[in-house]
Amino acid sequence: MSATTLDPGQSATSHAAVAARFADVDAVYATTRDLRLLGFVLFLVSDCVFFSSFIFSYLYLRTAAPVWPPLVDGKQLPYLDVTFAAVNSVVLFGSGVTMHYALESWKKLKKGAFNGWMVATIVLGIMFLLGQAHEYSGALQIMSWTGSSFGATFYTLTGMHGFHVFIGVIYLSVLLVQANRGVYTGSKYFGLTAGTLYWHFVDVIWVALFFMFYLW
Amino acid sequence: MDTVPSTLQRGGHDDPHDHIHPAPEGFIRKYVFSLDHKVIGIQYFVTGILLMVIAGAFAELVRIQLMDPAGTFMSRNAYNMMYTMHGTVMVWLVLIPLVTGALGNFVMPLQIGARDVAFPWLNMFSFWLIPVSAAVMFSTFLFGAPTAGWTEYPPISLEQGTAGALWCVAIMLVGVSSTLTGMNFVVTITKMRAPGMTWTRMPLFTWATFATALINMVATAALTIALAALFLEDVFNVPFFDAARGGSPVLFQHMFWFYSHPAVYIFILPAFGVVSEIIPTFARKPIFGYKMIAFSSLAIAILGFAVWAHHMFPAGLAPWLQIPFMILTYAIGIPTGIKIFSWLATLWGGRIQFSTPMLYMLAFLMTFTFGGVTGIFLASVPTNFHEHGSYFVVGHFHYVVGGGAVLGFLAAVAYWYPKATGRMLSEKLGKTTFWLFMIGLTGTFLPMHWIGLEGMPRRYASYEFIAKLYPDTVFWNRFETVFSFFMVAAVLVFAVNLIVSYRTGRIAGNNPWGARTLEWTISSPPPYYNFKKIPTVLARPYDFAEPLPYRNLDDEKIDLYPAPTAASLQPAAVGG
Repeated sequence: MSATTLDPGQSATSHAAVAARFADVDAVYATTRDLRLLGFVLFLVSDCVFFSSFIFSYLYLRTAAPVWPPLVDGKQLPYLDVTFAAVNSVVLFGSGVTMHYALESWKKLKKGAFNGWMVATIVLGIMFLLGQAHEYSGALQIMSWTGSSFGATFYTLTGMHGFHVFIGVIYLSVLLVQANRGVYTGSKYFGLTAGTLYWHFVDVIWVALFFMFYLW
Repeated sequence: MDTVPSTLQRGGHDDPHDHIHPAPEGFIRKYVFSLDHKVIGIQYFVTGILLMVIAGAFAELVRIQLMDPAGTFMSRNAYNMMYTMHGTVMVWLVLIPLVTGALGNFVMPLQIGARDVAFPWLNMFSFWLIPVSAAVMFSTFLFGAPTAGWTEYPPISLEQGTAGALWCVAIMLVGVSSTLTGMNFVVTITKMRAPGMTWTRMPLFTWATFATALINMVATAALTIALAALFLEDVFNVPFFDAARGGSPVLFQHMFWFYSHPAVYIFILPAFGVVSEIIPTFARKPIFGYKMIAFSSLAIAILGFAVWAHHMFPAGLAPWLQIPFMILTYAIGIPTGIKIFSWLATLWGGRIQFSTPMLYMLAFLMTFTFGGVTGIFLASVPTNFHEHGSYFVVGHFHYVVGGGAVLGFLAAVAYWYPKATGRMLSEKLGKTTFWLFMIGLTGTFLPMHWIGLEGMPRRYASYEFIAKLYPDTVFWNRFETVFSFFMVAAVLVFAVNLIVSYRTGRIAGNNPWGARTLEWTISSPPPYYNFKKIPTVLARPYDFAEPLPYRNLDDEKIDLYPAPTAASLQPAAVGG
């Protein structure tokens, strides 16, 4: 019995093919990738704490307020418009799907499909940001950043999230350029994994924000 | 300086633990922007000590003011600046850099048999944020300096203008530095331990560093956001904490203490780790209750996130919230008690050597336990209402931090200085430091407890009203001020010892204390790459009756542990 046990469902040929594909992954690269993967996940954990702290302040101020939306100069603020935000959310969640297929295409060595899915993700990200800008221009007619606790938490949290999307769009564009310059190979593509994790993280944060600000 | 053997260059070696960068050339890369965890640890050490002297001077000015009940030494505003800057600098720019930055960086990678931390560049970046933060912090003096206390509660903290905003920026920089260090250490300890070093074979200081790093990662991130919110309100007038516009000043207290209570465990857990290393070494006995000590560090780290509101009982917290927070705070006493009793059991029947590090540890057991017991008084809701905002709190806090974290730190310096420099500290000066510090600590902070119970309020620039009711407060305040200068003398002797011993100390050799963790198997100071060969770990390091539990050590003279046989790997037979 050799040291490597073959999966019963897997032919020896395909096993050899996989082994050949990963032949350039030496121990040093594998270790470095493991360290970076855990490090990147921990970075996302602390980023999640950043969001959670502001989310906590929103929950605290909302539950402590006598009425919600709060009163400004004796008049109650209206609820935010849910329809447009829902469409915009679909745009962002869609970009999560395209991101997923981009990474999968890369793993299957389909470079053309990868480029297509990446461009789609970046475009959807930019569309979300434009939608967010449109959303802000409408919301600013109703409430300001400094006028009430609603405005303070809403613009701070969605602004911080929008900033993350903005950084993400730049990040994914850099990855796209790098991938086409041969920085990543079929076996060494940690940078793309990290970008995907980041983008999904930004998506998941939006789920919480959308629920808190629009559906509740 | 040794040069790195060519087989150890990056990519030239197949060992997965091989993670080194080439040895640096030139002064700047070697000593200023160094990537070596040992150099970075010493950089944290020097920075922290210098800032400690400055923050200590602020505290002495506060003490001089309190010699006179009328408080005429400084203006009210200058006095407020002094106690604010004392607390701020000590907590964020002295304690955190010293206990996690200096001790964690220097010792932890050596203890796990690694050549460096996981992300050396990030480590360097984390360090350099500290001097930048200190520069921003001291620049607040140009704008009238913050005066709202180290807790910076709104709305008072919002009346400080530029000084308050700069204060937030400085602390956010420390927050980022501390979060990054925490991430770096978690990855290092999780992924880079020597082969055979399972979680339950890890040295206890490394366990403590791991628990601390988890807190660093989560809690300092929360602090950064609390101060970001304060900054936004200060600079852009965003109403997080303004009650008139739907904000809440109590919200800041929640956000602040969610970090700042775990922060005290950031200070104390590394000190617990130091105790767990030093006591077995100088009692020449295996540590009692290894697993319980290791897991109680984690328990403290986790429970520490569920107790923050005990700082806020008089802030109008609902009674149904006060009681759970009180009980959870009491619960912290359980893992802490497990540690204290495990250390006592380790001492029991040991052959105790009263070296300087051990003296600190024996004193630690008393002062820290005392500080812990007064903590129980403060955690209890009814007594808290009486003690809150009084000198009782100041006494309690300084007993756990001065009598806990600082004693642990001083012991660690006495213990690992020979490893860092290759020379022993002077025992005579070391014991002088110890006695001066202990006399100063007791004389300064013990009387604070009873004058606090009499009603002496913290942060007041004058206390004539209380001196009329209780004339003894004047005596005790003068007593404290006089004794606080013993701690100044202790720091001076300590600094002299560090400098003089660097030139004239006895040559230490690899293992001056007869200790058993991995850092003592290599030369002092360790070579750039730490370990020529990555050792294999076969057991816990604390069994003093056995040979060192390692194979493949650089020093073959001490590589004596019997190779595991087929029989020794079989599970032990159970029952008849």
